Amino acid sequence: MLWLLLLLAAAPPTKVIHMTAERFTFIPSQVKVKAGTVVEFRIHSEDTNHGFRIPAAGINEVIPKRGKGELKVVFHADRPGRYEFECSKPCGAGHNMMRGVLIVEE
Amino acid sequence: MLTMVNMRWSLGYCIILASILTGEAGAAGDDRERRIEELERRVQQLEQQIQQLLGTKPGTKPEDKPGGKSEAYPTEAERTPEMRLPVSGYMDFHFNKPRGEPGQLDFHRFVLLFGHSFSDRIKFWSELEVEHAFVEGREEKGELELEQAYLDFLVKPYFNLRGGMLLAPVGLINERHEPPSFHGVERPFVDTVILPSTWFDTGVGVFGDLGRGLVYKAYLMSPLDATGFSAAEGLREGRQKGFQSSWQNPAQTGRLEYHGIPRLALGASFWRGSTGFRFRGVNPRVKVFEIDGRYRLGRFDFRGEYAQVAISKAGELNLALQRETGVSPNVAERLRGFYFEPAVRVLPRRFNRDLALFARYENFDTQNRMPRGFLPLKQFDRSAWVVGATYYPEPDVAVKFDYTFLRNASSVVKAVNSLNFGIGWWF
Repeated sequence: MLWLLLLLAAAPPTKVIHMTAERFTFIPSQVKVKAGTVVEFRIHSEDTNHGFRIPAAGINEVIPKRGKGELKVVFHADRPGRYEFECSKPCGAGHNMMRGVLIVEE
Repeated sequence: MLTMVNMRWSLGYCIILASILTGEAGAAGDDRERRIEELERRVQQLEQQIQQLLGTKPGTKPEDKPGGKSEAYPTEAERTPEMRLPVSGYMDFHFNKPRGEPGQLDFHRFVLLFGHSFSDRIKFWSELEVEHAFVEGREEKGELELEQAYLDFLVKPYFNLRGGMLLAPVGLINERHEPPSFHGVERPFVDTVILPSTWFDTGVGVFGDLGRGLVYKAYLMSPLDATGFSAAEGLREGRQKGFQSSWQNPAQTGRLEYHGIPRLALGASFWRGSTGFRFRGVNPRVKVFEIDGRYRLGRFDFRGEYAQVAISKAGELNLALQRETGVSPNVAERLRGFYFEPAVRVLPRRFNRDLALFARYENFDTQNRMPRGFLPLKQFDRSAWVVGATYYPEPDVAVKFDYTFLRNASSVVKAVNSLNFGIGWWF
Protein backbone atom coordinates (compact mmCIF):
# COMPACT_ATOMS: atom_id res chain seq x y z
CA MET A 1 0.00 0.00 0.00
CA LEU A 2 2.80 2.36 0.95
CA TRP A 3 4.50 1.55 -2.34
CA LEU A 4 1.36 2.40 -4.28
CA LEU A 5 1.00 5.74 -2.53
CA LEU A 6 4.63 6.52 -3.23
CA LEU A 7 4.20 5.61 -6.86
CA LEU A 8 1.16 7.87 -7.19
CA ALA A 9 2.92 10.71 -5.42
CA ALA A 10 5.91 10.42 -7.72
CA ALA A 11 3.82 10.61 -10.94
CA PRO A 12 3.76 14.12 -12.49
CA PRO A 13 0.41 15.71 -13.41
CA THR A 14 -1.06 14.67 -16.76
CA LYS A 15 -3.10 16.91 -19.04
CA VAL A 16 -5.12 15.49 -21.91
CA ILE A 17 -5.51 17.76 -24.93
CA HIS A 18 -8.22 16.85 -27.41
CA MET A 19 -7.24 18.30 -30.76
CA THR A 20 -8.91 18.37 -34.17
CA ALA A 21 -6.89 18.44 -37.38
CA GLU A 22 -8.49 19.57 -40.61
CA ARG A 23 -7.34 21.38 -43.71
CA PHE A 24 -5.42 23.56 -42.74
CA THR A 25 -5.59 24.05 -39.00
CA PHE A 26 -5.07 22.38 -35.70
CA ILE A 27 -7.87 23.21 -33.29
CA PRO A 28 -6.72 24.39 -30.79
CA SER A 29 -3.52 25.68 -32.34
CA GLN A 30 -2.17 27.05 -29.06
CA VAL A 31 -1.85 24.96 -25.92
CA LYS A 32 -0.49 26.18 -22.59
CA VAL A 33 0.71 23.90 -19.79
CA LYS A 34 2.82 24.19 -16.65
CA ALA A 35 6.36 22.84 -16.68
CA GLY A 36 6.49 19.32 -15.34
CA THR A 37 3.19 18.33 -16.91
CA VAL A 38 2.85 15.23 -19.00
CA VAL A 39 0.78 16.31 -22.01
CA GLU A 40 -1.23 13.65 -23.77
CA PHE A 41 -2.42 14.81 -27.19
CA ARG A 42 -5.41 12.96 -28.58
CA ILE A 43 -5.80 14.09 -32.15
CA HIS A 44 -8.45 13.14 -34.68
CA SER A 45 -8.84 14.30 -38.26
CA GLU A 46 -11.97 15.67 -39.90
CA ASP A 47 -10.71 14.87 -43.39
CA THR A 48 -7.51 13.27 -44.64
CA ASN A 49 -4.30 12.04 -43.00
CA HIS A 50 -2.30 14.77 -41.38
CA GLY A 51 1.09 14.69 -39.73
CA PHE A 52 1.87 15.83 -36.21
CA ARG A 53 5.45 16.89 -35.81
CA ILE A 54 7.17 18.59 -32.88
CA PRO A 55 10.69 19.12 -34.23
CA ALA A 56 12.17 20.07 -30.85
CA ALA A 57 11.09 16.74 -29.38
CA GLY A 58 11.73 14.47 -32.33
CA ILE A 59 8.06 13.59 -32.60
CA ASN A 60 6.67 12.95 -36.07
CA GLU A 61 3.49 10.91 -36.32
CA VAL A 62 0.54 10.38 -38.65
CA ILE A 63 -2.99 11.35 -37.66
CA PRO A 64 -5.47 8.79 -39.03
CA LYS A 65 -8.08 9.86 -41.55
CA ARG A 66 -11.60 10.85 -40.54
CA GLY A 67 -13.38 7.99 -38.85
CA LYS A 68 -10.22 5.87 -38.63
CA GLY A 69 -9.38 6.55 -35.01
CA GLU A 70 -7.17 9.04 -33.23
CA LEU A 71 -3.49 9.57 -32.61
CA LYS A 72 -2.19 9.62 -29.05
CA VAL A 73 1.08 11.39 -28.42
CA VAL A 74 2.64 11.82 -24.98
CA PHE A 75 4.86 14.85 -24.51
CA HIS A 76 6.86 15.47 -21.32
CA ALA A 77 6.78 19.21 -20.81
CA ASP A 78 9.85 19.23 -18.60
CA ARG A 79 11.26 22.59 -19.57
CA PRO A 80 9.58 25.96 -20.07
CA GLY A 81 9.54 27.21 -23.65
CA ARG A 82 7.61 27.38 -26.89
CA TYR A 83 7.41 24.13 -28.82
CA GLU A 84 6.05 24.58 -32.30
CA PHE A 85 4.20 21.74 -33.97
CA GLU A 86 3.19 21.35 -37.60
CA CYS A 87 1.51 19.09 -40.11
CA SER A 88 4.22 16.94 -41.66
CA LYS A 89 2.12 15.13 -44.23
CA PRO A 90 1.10 17.13 -47.32
CA CYS A 91 -2.61 17.76 -47.06
CA GLY A 92 -3.40 20.37 -49.69
CA ALA A 93 -2.93 23.96 -50.73
CA GLY A 94 -2.50 25.35 -47.22
CA HIS A 95 -0.29 22.58 -45.87
CA ASN A 96 2.55 24.88 -44.79
CA MET A 97 0.12 26.98 -42.77
CA MET A 98 -0.99 24.08 -40.62
CA ARG A 99 0.98 24.83 -37.49
CA GLY A 100 0.60 25.50 -33.80
CA VAL A 101 2.52 26.01 -30.62
CA LEU A 102 2.72 24.33 -27.22
CA ILE A 103 3.68 26.88 -24.57
CA VAL A 104 5.28 25.41 -21.45
CA GLU A 105 5.17 27.95 -18.63
CA GLU A 106 7.19 28.11 -15.40
CA MET B 1 -1.05 8.05 -17.22
CA LEU B 2 2.17 6.59 -15.88
CA THR B 3 4.74 6.57 -18.61
CA MET B 4 7.90 4.53 -18.99
CA VAL B 5 10.12 7.41 -17.92
CA ASN B 6 8.19 7.94 -14.73
CA MET B 7 8.24 4.22 -14.07
CA ARG B 8 12.01 4.21 -14.33
CA TRP B 9 12.32 6.95 -11.74
CA SER B 10 9.69 5.45 -9.49
CA LEU B 11 11.13 1.95 -9.75
CA GLY B 12 14.57 3.10 -8.68
CA TYR B 13 13.10 5.07 -5.86
CA CYS B 14 11.08 2.08 -4.68
CA ILE B 15 14.01 -0.29 -4.82
CA ILE B 16 16.02 2.00 -2.59
CA LEU B 17 13.06 2.44 -0.28
CA ALA B 18 12.40 -1.27 -0.14
CA SER B 19 15.96 -1.98 0.75
CA ILE B 20 15.80 0.52 3.58
CA LEU B 21 12.48 -0.84 4.86
CA THR B 22 13.61 -4.43 4.74
CA GLY B 23 17.22 -3.87 5.78
CA GLU B 24 18.65 -4.90 9.10
CA ALA B 25 18.37 -2.02 11.52
CA GLY B 26 21.58 -2.78 13.26
CA ALA B 27 23.81 -3.40 10.24
CA ALA B 28 27.22 -1.84 10.28
CA GLY B 29 27.75 1.47 8.39
CA ASP B 30 30.21 -0.05 5.90
CA ASP B 31 27.82 -2.85 5.03
CA ARG B 32 25.00 -0.37 4.44
CA GLU B 33 27.16 1.76 2.11
CA ARG B 34 28.13 -1.32 0.16
CA ARG B 35 24.50 -2.28 -0.24
CA ILE B 36 23.55 1.23 -1.36
CA GLU B 37 26.34 1.22 -3.96
CA GLU B 38 25.09 -2.11 -5.22
CA LEU B 39 21.54 -0.78 -5.48
CA GLU B 40 22.73 2.35 -7.32
CA ARG B 41 24.52 0.13 -9.80
CA ARG B 42 21.33 -1.85 -10.35
CA VAL B 43 19.29 1.35 -10.80
CA GLN B 44 21.76 2.53 -13.47
CA GLN B 45 21.41 -0.79 -15.24
CA LEU B 46 17.61 -0.43 -15.20
CA GLU B 47 17.90 3.14 -16.53
CA GLN B 48 19.98 1.94 -19.45
CA GLN B 49 17.50 -0.79 -20.24
CA ILE B 50 14.55 1.61 -20.15
CA GLN B 51 16.40 4.12 -22.35
CA GLN B 52 16.90 1.37 -24.91
CA LEU B 53 13.20 0.53 -24.76
CA LEU B 54 12.31 4.19 -25.31
CA GLY B 55 14.66 4.51 -28.25
CA THR B 56 16.57 7.35 -26.61
CA LYS B 57 19.81 8.14 -28.33
CA PRO B 58 22.90 6.87 -26.47
CA GLY B 59 24.35 9.49 -24.21
CA THR B 60 21.16 11.50 -24.11
CA LYS B 61 19.37 11.64 -20.85
CA PRO B 62 15.62 11.96 -21.28
CA GLU B 63 15.57 14.93 -18.96
CA ASP B 64 18.01 16.82 -21.19
CA LYS B 65 15.23 17.70 -23.61
CA PRO B 66 11.49 17.49 -23.54
CA GLY B 67 10.38 14.40 -25.27
CA GLY B 68 7.42 12.40 -26.28
CA LYS B 69 6.36 9.06 -27.48
CA SER B 70 3.45 8.05 -29.59
CA GLU B 71 1.49 4.99 -28.73
CA ALA B 72 0.71 4.43 -32.38
CA TYR B 73 4.01 4.73 -34.20
CA PRO B 74 7.72 4.79 -33.41
CA THR B 75 9.17 8.23 -32.88
CA GLU B 76 11.48 9.89 -35.38
CA ALA B 77 15.02 8.77 -34.64
CA GLU B 78 16.83 11.78 -36.05
CA ARG B 79 15.80 15.30 -36.93
CA THR B 80 16.09 15.81 -40.64
CA PRO B 81 16.93 19.45 -41.44
CA GLU B 82 16.20 18.96 -45.15
CA MET B 83 13.26 16.79 -46.08
CA ARG B 84 11.83 15.83 -49.46
CA LEU B 85 8.11 15.53 -48.99
CA PRO B 86 6.18 12.78 -50.75
CA VAL B 87 4.22 13.65 -53.88
CA SER B 88 0.56 14.29 -53.27
CA GLY B 89 -2.25 14.99 -55.66
CA TYR B 90 -5.88 14.87 -56.52
CA MET B 91 -7.95 13.98 -59.53
CA ASP B 92 -11.42 14.63 -60.82
CA PHE B 93 -13.19 12.48 -63.40
CA HIS B 94 -16.65 13.62 -64.51
CA PHE B 95 -19.62 12.58 -66.57
CA ASN B 96 -21.89 15.52 -67.41
CA LYS B 97 -25.22 15.14 -69.20
CA PRO B 98 -27.00 18.46 -69.86
CA ARG B 99 -30.66 17.88 -70.64
CA GLY B 100 -31.28 17.47 -74.36
CA GLU B 101 -27.58 17.15 -75.14
CA PRO B 102 -25.26 14.17 -75.38
CA GLY B 103 -23.35 13.23 -72.27
CA GLN B 104 -19.62 13.87 -71.94
CA LEU B 105 -16.88 12.07 -70.09
CA ASP B 106 -14.15 14.42 -68.98
CA PHE B 107 -10.98 13.84 -66.98
CA HIS B 108 -11.41 17.30 -65.56
CA ARG B 109 -8.38 17.63 -63.32
CA PHE B 110 -5.12 15.79 -62.81
CA VAL B 111 -3.11 17.55 -60.16
CA LEU B 112 0.25 16.76 -58.62
CA LEU B 113 1.62 18.56 -55.58
CA PHE B 114 5.28 18.68 -54.71
CA GLY B 115 6.86 20.01 -51.57
CA HIS B 116 10.28 20.30 -50.04
CA SER B 117 11.51 21.39 -46.64
CA PHE B 118 14.90 23.03 -47.00
CA SER B 119 14.87 23.36 -43.22
CA ASP B 120 12.32 23.68 -40.45
CA ARG B 121 12.02 27.35 -41.46
CA ILE B 122 12.16 27.36 -45.24
CA LYS B 123 9.60 25.31 -47.15
CA PHE B 124 8.54 25.00 -50.76
CA TRP B 125 5.10 24.00 -52.01
CA SER B 126 3.73 23.62 -55.53
CA GLU B 127 0.73 22.42 -57.50
CA LEU B 128 0.83 21.49 -61.16
CA GLU B 129 -2.47 20.84 -62.89
CA VAL B 130 -3.60 19.42 -66.20
CA GLU B 131 -7.22 20.29 -66.94
CA HIS B 132 -9.31 18.26 -69.38
CA ALA B 133 -6.47 15.82 -69.95
CA PHE B 134 -5.17 17.17 -73.23
CA VAL B 135 -3.13 20.26 -73.98
CA GLU B 136 -2.39 21.36 -77.51
CA GLY B 137 -0.88 24.64 -78.59
CA ARG B 138 -3.39 27.44 -78.83
CA GLU B 139 -6.34 25.14 -79.29
CA GLU B 140 -9.20 25.30 -76.82
CA LYS B 141 -8.52 21.84 -75.44
CA GLY B 142 -7.08 21.58 -71.98
CA GLU B 143 -4.85 23.64 -69.77
CA LEU B 144 -1.54 23.00 -68.13
CA GLU B 145 -1.35 25.31 -65.15
CA LEU B 146 1.16 26.01 -62.43
CA GLU B 147 -1.37 26.94 -59.78
CA GLN B 148 1.02 27.16 -56.87
CA ALA B 149 4.79 27.40 -56.51
CA TYR B 150 5.92 29.38 -53.52
CA LEU B 151 8.49 29.54 -50.80
CA ASP B 152 7.53 30.02 -47.17
CA PHE B 153 9.87 31.57 -44.65
CA LEU B 154 8.51 30.54 -41.27
CA VAL B 155 9.44 33.09 -38.64
CA LYS B 156 6.90 32.85 -35.86
CA PRO B 157 3.49 31.16 -35.73
CA TYR B 158 1.91 34.61 -35.97
CA PHE B 159 4.18 36.04 -38.68
CA ASN B 160 5.58 34.29 -41.74
CA LEU B 161 6.56 35.34 -45.23
CA ARG B 162 5.51 33.83 -48.55
CA GLY B 163 6.40 34.54 -52.18
CA GLY B 164 5.86 32.97 -55.60
CA MET B 165 2.80 31.69 -57.39
CA LEU B 166 -0.01 31.92 -54.85
CA LEU B 167 -3.67 31.05 -54.54
CA ALA B 168 -5.74 34.15 -53.88
CA PRO B 169 -6.98 33.68 -50.33
CA VAL B 170 -10.55 34.47 -51.36
CA GLY B 171 -13.56 32.27 -50.73
CA LEU B 172 -14.36 28.87 -49.37
CA ILE B 173 -13.25 26.75 -52.31
CA ASN B 174 -10.24 28.50 -53.77
CA GLU B 175 -7.82 27.14 -51.18
CA ARG B 176 -9.81 24.03 -50.25
CA HIS B 177 -10.64 22.50 -53.60
CA GLU B 178 -9.64 18.85 -53.17
CA PRO B 179 -12.60 16.85 -54.56
CA PRO B 180 -13.45 14.94 -51.34
CA SER B 181 -13.64 18.23 -49.43
CA PHE B 182 -16.82 19.54 -51.10
CA HIS B 183 -20.11 18.08 -52.29
CA GLY B 184 -21.27 18.14 -55.88
CA VAL B 185 -19.51 17.00 -59.01
CA GLU B 186 -18.65 20.54 -60.08
CA ARG B 187 -17.57 23.33 -57.78
CA PRO B 188 -20.33 25.73 -56.69
CA PHE B 189 -21.36 28.28 -59.34
CA VAL B 190 -20.62 31.13 -56.93
CA ASP B 191 -17.05 29.88 -56.65
CA THR B 192 -16.80 29.76 -60.43
CA VAL B 193 -18.46 32.85 -61.91
CA ILE B 194 -18.48 35.30 -58.99
CA LEU B 195 -15.19 34.19 -57.41
CA PRO B 196 -13.07 32.82 -60.24
CA SER B 197 -11.61 29.73 -58.61
CA THR B 198 -9.06 28.46 -59.07
CA TRP B 199 -7.75 32.00 -58.70
CA PHE B 200 -3.96 32.10 -58.68
CA ASP B 201 -1.20 34.50 -59.63
CA THR B 202 2.22 35.75 -58.62
CA GLY B 203 2.57 37.58 -55.34
CA VAL B 204 4.19 38.07 -51.96
CA GLY B 205 2.70 38.30 -48.53
CA VAL B 206 2.49 37.42 -44.89
CA PHE B 207 0.42 34.89 -43.00
CA GLY B 208 0.11 33.46 -39.52
CA ASP B 209 -1.87 32.16 -36.60
CA LEU B 210 -2.75 34.86 -34.08
CA GLY B 211 -3.98 32.41 -31.46
CA ARG B 212 -7.50 32.08 -30.08
CA GLY B 213 -8.49 30.48 -33.38
CA LEU B 214 -7.63 33.44 -35.63
CA VAL B 215 -5.67 32.80 -38.80
CA TYR B 216 -4.80 35.44 -41.38
CA LYS B 217 -3.21 35.95 -44.78
CA ALA B 218 -2.37 39.24 -46.49
CA TYR B 219 -0.79 39.32 -49.94
CA LEU B 220 0.16 41.69 -52.71
CA MET B 221 -0.67 39.94 -55.98
CA SER B 222 -0.63 40.63 -59.69
CA PRO B 223 -3.77 42.52 -60.68
CA LEU B 224 -6.65 41.27 -62.76
CA ASP B 225 -6.76 42.22 -66.44
CA ALA B 226 -10.00 44.05 -67.27
CA THR B 227 -9.81 43.07 -70.95
CA GLY B 228 -10.91 39.56 -69.92
CA PHE B 229 -14.05 40.52 -67.98
CA SER B 230 -17.37 39.33 -69.38
CA ALA B 231 -21.10 39.37 -68.78
CA ALA B 232 -21.41 35.63 -68.29
CA GLU B 233 -18.37 34.81 -66.18
CA GLY B 234 -17.46 38.11 -64.57
CA LEU B 235 -13.79 38.28 -63.60
CA ARG B 236 -12.89 34.77 -64.67
CA GLU B 237 -10.96 35.48 -67.87
CA GLY B 238 -9.28 38.44 -66.21
CA ARG B 239 -6.88 36.21 -64.29
CA GLN B 240 -3.32 36.67 -65.53
CA LYS B 241 -2.27 33.29 -64.11
CA GLY B 242 1.33 34.30 -63.66
CA PHE B 243 2.00 34.57 -67.40
CA GLN B 244 4.35 37.56 -67.47
CA SER B 245 1.86 39.18 -65.13
CA SER B 246 1.85 42.92 -65.01
CA TRP B 247 2.99 44.14 -61.60
CA GLN B 248 1.74 47.65 -62.21
CA ASN B 249 -0.43 48.59 -59.25
CA PRO B 250 -0.41 45.21 -57.47
CA ALA B 251 -3.68 44.17 -55.93
CA GLN B 252 -4.16 43.76 -52.19
CA THR B 253 -5.92 40.71 -50.88
CA GLY B 254 -6.40 39.03 -47.54
CA ARG B 255 -8.39 36.58 -45.52
CA LEU B 256 -9.23 36.16 -41.86
CA GLU B 257 -10.49 32.86 -40.48
CA TYR B 258 -11.88 32.07 -37.07
CA HIS B 259 -11.76 28.56 -35.61
CA GLY B 260 -12.22 29.44 -31.95
CA ILE B 261 -15.55 27.66 -31.44
CA PRO B 262 -15.61 23.88 -31.79
CA ARG B 263 -17.01 22.62 -35.10
CA LEU B 264 -17.45 26.17 -36.44
CA ALA B 265 -15.23 27.87 -39.02
CA LEU B 266 -15.88 31.41 -40.23
CA GLY B 267 -14.02 33.27 -42.93
CA ALA B 268 -13.95 36.70 -44.53
CA SER B 269 -11.84 37.77 -47.45
CA PHE B 270 -11.28 40.68 -49.79
CA TRP B 271 -9.49 41.68 -52.96
CA ARG B 272 -8.97 45.17 -54.33
CA GLY B 273 -6.91 46.44 -57.19
CA SER B 274 -6.75 48.36 -60.44
CA THR B 275 -7.28 46.34 -63.60
CA GLY B 276 -6.78 48.67 -66.54
CA PHE B 277 -3.06 48.35 -67.21
CA ARG B 278 -3.75 47.45 -70.86
CA PHE B 279 -5.80 50.61 -71.48
CA ARG B 280 -5.00 54.28 -71.70
CA GLY B 281 -7.34 56.42 -69.69
CA VAL B 282 -9.59 53.65 -68.35
CA ASN B 283 -8.49 51.98 -65.15
CA PRO B 284 -11.39 50.16 -63.46
CA ARG B 285 -10.91 49.17 -59.85
CA VAL B 286 -12.20 45.83 -58.67
CA LYS B 287 -13.29 45.23 -55.09
CA VAL B 288 -14.27 41.75 -53.96
CA PHE B 289 -15.81 41.04 -50.60
CA GLU B 290 -16.68 37.57 -49.36
CA ILE B 291 -17.83 35.87 -46.16
CA ASP B 292 -18.30 32.16 -45.53
CA GLY B 293 -19.02 29.71 -42.77
CA ARG B 294 -18.98 25.99 -42.03
CA TYR B 295 -20.56 24.19 -39.10
CA ARG B 296 -20.81 20.56 -38.02
CA LEU B 297 -23.54 19.29 -35.76
CA GLY B 298 -23.34 15.57 -35.19
CA ARG B 299 -23.85 13.95 -38.58
CA PHE B 300 -24.95 17.24 -40.17
CA ASP B 301 -22.68 19.63 -42.06
CA PHE B 302 -23.64 23.15 -43.07
CA ARG B 303 -21.78 25.59 -45.22
CA GLY B 304 -22.61 28.88 -46.85
CA GLU B 305 -20.98 31.73 -48.68
CA TYR B 306 -21.78 35.24 -49.83
CA ALA B 307 -19.65 37.08 -52.38
CA GLN B 308 -19.91 40.46 -54.02
CA VAL B 309 -17.79 42.11 -56.70
CA ALA B 310 -17.75 45.83 -57.54
CA ILE B 311 -16.17 47.09 -60.75
CA SER B 312 -15.74 50.84 -61.09
CA LYS B 313 -15.91 52.56 -64.48
CA ALA B 314 -17.63 49.52 -65.97
CA GLY B 315 -19.39 51.69 -68.57
CA GLU B 316 -16.12 53.18 -69.79
CA LEU B 317 -14.61 49.70 -69.84
CA ASN B 318 -17.44 48.38 -72.01
CA LEU B 319 -17.03 51.25 -74.47
CA ALA B 320 -13.24 50.84 -74.59
CA LEU B 321 -13.55 47.10 -75.27
CA GLN B 322 -16.24 47.72 -77.87
CA ARG B 323 -13.91 50.10 -79.70
CA GLU B 324 -11.22 47.38 -79.74
CA THR B 325 -13.30 44.30 -80.56
CA GLY B 326 -16.52 45.65 -82.01
CA VAL B 327 -18.60 43.96 -79.31
CA SER B 328 -19.50 45.29 -75.89
CA PRO B 329 -18.82 42.68 -73.19
CA ASN B 330 -21.65 44.20 -71.12
CA VAL B 331 -19.61 44.02 -67.93
CA ALA B 332 -21.67 44.88 -64.85
CA GLU B 333 -20.59 47.23 -62.10
CA ARG B 334 -21.78 44.76 -59.46
CA LEU B 335 -21.80 40.94 -59.36
CA ARG B 336 -23.33 39.07 -56.46
CA GLY B 337 -23.83 35.48 -55.38
CA PHE B 338 -24.52 33.31 -52.39
CA TYR B 339 -25.24 29.72 -51.51
CA PHE B 340 -26.27 27.57 -48.61
CA GLU B 341 -25.67 23.85 -48.36
CA PRO B 342 -26.83 21.42 -45.67
CA ALA B 343 -25.59 17.84 -45.79
CA VAL B 344 -26.12 14.75 -43.66
CA ARG B 345 -24.01 11.64 -43.32
CA VAL B 346 -26.46 8.79 -43.22
CA LEU B 347 -24.39 5.68 -42.53
CA PRO B 348 -23.74 4.71 -38.89
CA ARG B 349 -20.33 5.70 -37.54
CA ARG B 350 -19.30 2.09 -37.08
CA PHE B 351 -19.29 1.59 -40.85
CA ASN B 352 -15.97 1.80 -42.55
CA ARG B 353 -17.43 4.05 -45.26
CA ASP B 354 -19.71 7.02 -45.45
CA LEU B 355 -22.58 8.38 -47.52
CA ALA B 356 -23.57 12.03 -47.47
CA LEU B 357 -26.76 13.46 -48.91
CA PHE B 358 -26.77 17.16 -49.69
CA ALA B 359 -28.78 19.97 -51.23
CA ARG B 360 -27.32 23.30 -52.26
CA TYR B 361 -29.22 26.42 -53.21
CA GLU B 362 -27.25 28.99 -55.18
CA ASN B 363 -28.19 32.41 -56.41
CA PHE B 364 -25.70 34.20 -58.61
CA ASP B 365 -26.04 37.20 -60.85
CA THR B 366 -23.17 38.52 -62.92
CA GLN B 367 -25.36 41.43 -64.12
CA ASN B 368 -26.58 42.47 -60.70
CA ARG B 369 -26.12 46.21 -61.24
CA MET B 370 -25.30 47.71 -64.62
CA PRO B 371 -23.52 50.96 -65.41
CA ARG B 372 -25.63 53.80 -66.77
CA GLY B 373 -26.63 53.17 -70.37
CA PHE B 374 -26.30 49.37 -70.25
CA LEU B 375 -29.11 46.89 -69.74
CA PRO B 376 -28.62 43.63 -67.83
CA LEU B 377 -28.67 40.35 -69.76
CA LYS B 378 -31.31 38.47 -67.80
CA GLN B 379 -29.98 35.02 -68.66
CA PHE B 380 -27.07 35.75 -66.33
CA ASP B 381 -29.32 36.33 -63.35
CA ARG B 382 -29.31 32.69 -62.29
CA SER B 383 -30.20 30.36 -59.46
CA ALA B 384 -29.63 26.64 -59.01
CA TRP B 385 -30.66 23.76 -56.81
CA VAL B 386 -27.98 21.09 -56.72
CA VAL B 387 -29.13 17.90 -54.99
CA GLY B 388 -27.17 14.70 -54.75
CA ALA B 389 -25.00 12.34 -52.80
CA THR B 390 -21.34 11.75 -52.06
CA TYR B 391 -20.22 8.24 -51.25
CA TYR B 392 -16.89 7.82 -49.46
CA PRO B 393 -15.60 4.23 -49.76
CA GLU B 394 -12.72 5.70 -47.82
CA PRO B 395 -12.24 9.28 -46.61
CA ASP B 396 -10.01 10.39 -49.50
CA VAL B 397 -12.12 8.91 -52.30
CA ALA B 398 -15.44 10.50 -53.25
CA VAL B 399 -17.95 9.00 -55.67
CA LYS B 400 -20.34 11.81 -56.50
CA PHE B 401 -23.74 12.17 -58.05
CA ASP B 402 -25.93 15.23 -58.42
CA TYR B 403 -28.73 16.72 -60.43
CA THR B 404 -28.60 20.45 -61.11
CA PHE B 405 -31.79 22.41 -61.59
CA LEU B 406 -30.65 25.65 -63.21
CA ARG B 407 -32.93 28.66 -63.61
CA ASN B 408 -32.49 32.16 -65.00
CA ALA B 409 -34.53 35.34 -65.20
CA SER B 410 -34.69 35.42 -68.99
CA SER B 411 -37.89 34.67 -70.86
CA VAL B 412 -35.92 33.99 -74.03
CA VAL B 413 -32.82 32.00 -73.12
CA LYS B 414 -33.64 28.79 -71.27
CA ALA B 415 -31.37 27.42 -68.56
CA VAL B 416 -30.38 23.78 -68.95
CA ASN B 417 -30.57 21.23 -66.15
CA SER B 418 -27.87 18.59 -65.94
CA LEU B 419 -27.14 15.17 -64.54
CA ASN B 420 -23.62 14.70 -63.22
CA PHE B 421 -21.50 11.84 -61.98
CA GLY B 422 -17.95 12.12 -60.75
CA ILE B 423 -15.10 10.36 -59.04
CA GLY B 424 -12.58 12.41 -57.14
CA TRP B 425 -9.69 11.37 -54.99
CA TRP B 426 -6.85 12.79 -52.97
CA PHE B 427 -3.64 11.08 -51.98
